Amino acid sequence: MDGSVASSSVWDTQKVYKHHEQQNVAQTRPKYREGRRLKAVKVYTINLESRYLLVQGVPAIGVMAELVQLFALYGVIEEYRPLDEYPAEQFTEVYLIQFQKLTSARAAKRHTDEKSFFGGQLHVCYAPEYETVEETKQKLQDRRRYVNWASQNAAKLHSQQAEVNTESSSSTDTRTAEAPIMQKNPEEARRENVNSDYMGFPLLPLPPTADISYRLQNHFTQPSQLQWTKETTEDKMGSLHNFIPPVQKTSTQSESSSSSGVKEGDLRQKQKISTPSIRFMPRTTHLESRKRKLDEQTFFLKEADKTGVLIGPKLPELPKLDMEDSSLNVTANLIRNTMTKAASVPEAKPVQAKHTTPKPRRRI
Amino acid sequence: MAGKNRFSVSDRFEYLQGLVTEFQDSDSDEAKEQVLANLANFAYDPSNMEALRTLQVTELFLDMLTEENENFVEFGIGGLCNLSMELESRDQILQSGGVPLVISCLSSSRDETVLSAITTLMNLITASSRSEITDSAVLQCMLRFSHTQNPRLRNLACVFLQEHCTQKQVDTARHALQGQSQSAVGIPLPKD
Repeated sequence: MDGSVASSSVWDTQKVYKHHEQQNVAQTRPKYREGRRLKAVKVYTINLESRYLLVQGVPAIGVMAELVQLFALYGVIEEYRPLDEYPAEQFTEVYLIQFQKLTSARAAKRHTDEKSFFGGQLHVCYAPEYETVEETKQKLQDRRRYVNWASQNAAKLHSQQAEVNTESSSSTDTRTAEAPIMQKNPEEARRENVNSDYMGFPLLPLPPTADISYRLQNHFTQPSQLQWTKETTEDKMGSLHNFIPPVQKTSTQSESSSSSGVKEGDLRQKQKISTPSIRFMPRTTHLESRKRKLDEQTFFLKEADKTGVLIGPKLPELPKLDMEDSSLNVTANLIRNTMTKAASVPEAKPVQAKHTTPKPRRRI
Repeated sequence: MAGKNRFSVSDRFEYLQGLVTEFQDSDSDEAKEQVLANLANFAYDPSNMEALRTLQVTELFLDMLTEENENFVEFGIGGLCNLSMELESRDQILQSGGVPLVISCLSSSRDETVLSAITTLMNLITASSRSEITDSAVLQCMLRFSHTQNPRLRNLACVFLQEHCTQKQVDTARHALQGQSQSAVGIPLPKD
């Protein structure tokens, strides 16, 4: 018995081993350990791997050359042959392919198993039973050498990564150190709001964008707050001539510069308008400023919509009345459109508004 | 190899830690089998070995070798087979007294378990552990395996005898095998 086994070449073994059979895939894995492909519960060791691949399910239509071409994509093939005696499904053939390198066989199996090939589905598995003793010995030695080379490399890489990590953590430290400074901005802005409330002129809430508050802090809150408090005291003393020129400067800036500049300008403008209104506010000016406030509000809302960072509930849209008649609806729409057009006009030409504001001061 | 690392070292560690925790907390054998197979397959990749050692997965695998469930044993020894390729993990297994446990796997009725055990034993051979692993009983078992019909088992047993045993050792073992003092290592118990 021993002699017959020893004399038979490895290429003659036609037994179907358990590891040739396709196992059922596990369907019950929780999400976090579910891979991209469903796989059977199986442990791969070097014993199971081999340079020999058994390819089942090849359609028996004379496509051996194509099959070999397909597998040659993954590495040098040393030998291949059809296993005629191997039990195969009807109209399919089984091939044995021996790669020069184990890594090629691994790549080939990974990419061809369960793939369709000329209308059939390939089942590719390792066939270590075709190895000789020498090949098995070599395989184990190669694996041992590779693992120790790789783990030494990994240790090196790990120590390098540790260095990088300490570097990056120090850089994040500086970043977090910077953050509190940024967070101060809304606080200051709020303080400013309280200030203005106290003076009886509620400012619009600042837009919730961080960069705007940052800009406001730099260019607006500190200098203008000082300016403004100074100016208001002057206002109480009845002299406002110092007040006008800087405002006009900023408003002209606002026309030319970016949207944030516009906002600054608008805010200043409003302060300027509301300051004189303590004592003498002609009704027309009052109405004008009220309308401007409304415009600014819508302007801010639009701005927030654009940037997409609006916090809090939005203003309700104007209810659209159904006139229960199509022609009446058309007329109502027409009127509505004209109204919105008319309402948007002063926003388009703020220069006129600015010219009107110095007028009341002349009456002092 | 470096380009393959899609996950950072800490991410890997956390994921593996999650697996170990699930294994310890789970009551379902099915889930435990899946997690154990996952861990054993992770042990194939050298870049995971350090994390697995830190998480004491070596001990976990060794504990599996005495389980009733044959799947647990197969996956546990498979994991050890993968881990023991690396020198540091090998030393850890030796320190934990893993050799007798691995030798007991030679008597399994499952081919994969026996194959993994042979490879693990070969990996575990060092100057100090050689005498324990190339024990007469183990050699007799390998001699028996070298005459089986299964080519994989035959090859691996031959590699074991050729690479790690002296001719003298093999001869005495062969003599013992023909005589009365046969050991029962590597002979699976009949199933009931």
